[in-house]
Amino acid sequence: MTQALNRWLPSFTLACWSGILLYFHLSGRLAAFLHPTFRPGVLAAGLVLLVFAIGSLFGGSARCCRNGGGCAHVNPATGRGSMLGKLLTFIVLMLPLFMAFGSPRNGFGLTAISNRGVVTDASGIIAPPPQSVSSPYVEAPLPTNDPAPAGADSNAGAVDQYVPRTPSGAIAVSVIDLLYAAQDPSLRADFDGKVVELVGQLMAENTAAPDGSRMKVVRMFMTCCAADAKPVAALIEFPPGTKKSDVPELSWVRVNGIPAFPTEGGRTIAVLKVNSIKVTDPPDETMLF
Amino acid sequence: MNWFSFHFSDFAFSFLSILFEGVPFLLLGAVISGSVEVFLPPQTLTRLLPRNPTVAVLLSGLLGGIFPMCECGAVVVIRRFLAKGLPVSCAVTYMLAAPIVSPLVALSTFAAFRSQSPWLMTSLRLALGYLIAVSVGLVVQRLRLGAVLQATVIESLPEQRLVRAAPARALEAREARLPGSGGARSSSRAGLRIATAAVTGDFGTEWEASGVWASLLRVVQSATADFLDVALYFVIGAAVAATFNTAVNQEIIHPLAAHSAAAILTMMGLAGAMALCSSTDAFIAASFITFPFASKLAFLVFGPVFDVKLFFLYGLVFRRKFIVGLAIGLFITIALLCLRLSVYLQ
Repeated sequence: MTQALNRWLPSFTLACWSGILLYFHLSGRLAAFLHPTFRPGVLAAGLVLLVFAIGSLFGGSARCCRNGGGCAHVNPATGRGSMLGKLLTFIVLMLPLFMAFGSPRNGFGLTAISNRGVVTDASGIIAPPPQSVSSPYVEAPLPTNDPAPAGADSNAGAVDQYVPRTPSGAIAVSVIDLLYAAQDPSLRADFDGKVVELVGQLMAENTAAPDGSRMKVVRMFMTCCAADAKPVAALIEFPPGTKKSDVPELSWVRVNGIPAFPTEGGRTIAVLKVNSIKVTDPPDETMLF
Repeated sequence: MNWFSFHFSDFAFSFLSILFEGVPFLLLGAVISGSVEVFLPPQTLTRLLPRNPTVAVLLSGLLGGIFPMCECGAVVVIRRFLAKGLPVSCAVTYMLAAPIVSPLVALSTFAAFRSQSPWLMTSLRLALGYLIAVSVGLVVQRLRLGAVLQATVIESLPEQRLVRAAPARALEAREARLPGSGGARSSSRAGLRIATAAVTGDFGTEWEASGVWASLLRVVQSATADFLDVALYFVIGAAVAATFNTAVNQEIIHPLAAHSAAAILTMMGLAGAMALCSSTDAFIAASFITFPFASKLAFLVFGPVFDVKLFFLYGLVFRRKFIVGLAIGLFITIALLCLRLSVYLQ
């Protein structure tokens, strides 16, 4: 019995770990947990652990463990410790399995987001600032034979060719674009007064909404993994006299509106004046990086 | 303001993300460790290092430059290095220096602080990391093995195996002296085999094979044992870090940024609780905009050498008392150094 456990426990543990890593990678759930740079490592680790599980099952434990003397290992593969200790170790090593399938959520809840402190200022972000399409560093489009429409702003024409747009024709922006635009006049010019569309999770706004007409659209900004992700948010403002959205907090929404950059409390902030707001599916990459 | 609120789903999400980020590095450390066990002849490391113990420690602090390893993997690797004859002081120096004094960490620190004096932060981080690791190595050099290492690790050291094998050799020698002993010659060979095996760790088993595949299988077996050992402590450390990451309201620390000493202590406490990987922690440190430069430096030097995850991982190799002493010593030394530097870094 003991010998069978010594052989099977490590192999089973490794197989479970391998299964978790491979499942999360192959199912795409990993995208919510890890920066793209680190994702291939998870696939590789899953495959290597599978090899380890097979090797452990058929090849047995390490020779130092089998011979006792000169072995410093304490894991369930060794002969050291009581069977109870080995079973406790096994249970601790099974925790990731319980976590993986005990909680199907692929994002943080309201409490965890609030605990991390929502960033509403570009100075709290370490992402490289987006490049303004109207800045002198962006090459102008090649001249064509088509005459420019009378009264058209040539620079605005250049902007229109470069900015990403949604199928409805609105400029697709991220929370970070708006936060940087509040601090960078050249970037602000790309969005100011234009119809834009923003996707994120809806949150209540209590501090900057004196008349209760504002909410936040939040995205998590990840450096390496979700554990270090910081919530970044842009303010949205509903027209006077209209009811605020009754969509539950943290629902994914697509907000269509026109950004404004008022100065409040001595600093310029970005506020998206809402035209419409719709519940939508989460994007493929729920995190920003 | 409620400072603590635990939710299982948030905890699980954070825990799994730490796990997914860390497991590939743990595994890499285990595979290197297994390869060292099988392919590196005993005492090779000792022969490569200078004979002067102080120079050997000074050199060990730079090994991360050519043999980079993050803090989780380094624990696994040094245990194997110890079994292969590397002096404890050199192993401890390498373990503490490698997660900081490496090209990867230098690059990531430079990139993260590209708008906040990148040259200064990168060079100070590497210099302080090296200084701290070498200082600890020199202190460890003066300590008894029994005060530093776990009993099981001491048993795995080559010199200890030699001591255990000594009675077998004495018996073999006595038998060889007996006149007319028919089995003397074969007994002598057996005794020699035991003594040699005790030194090399090559005891032989019920299963024996030779060639590349057999060596690879031994790498897998050894790496598996190492991985399972370190995974146990990694799971516990990740659980503690995930609890802090999700349940503790981090807004409560922001007022501490205004005072230099409080900021340094806070950032070091954060580094210990967040248990980030040294290759990427600079990006997190850089995002603490309101905190002074010296406090971020303290975060970047203390985090890779000690955090909650490492507290459990170090338990694989070191005695609990030594770990607690190490934690206190590192905390005080790094805090004082950074506090002193903060005068010049205003």
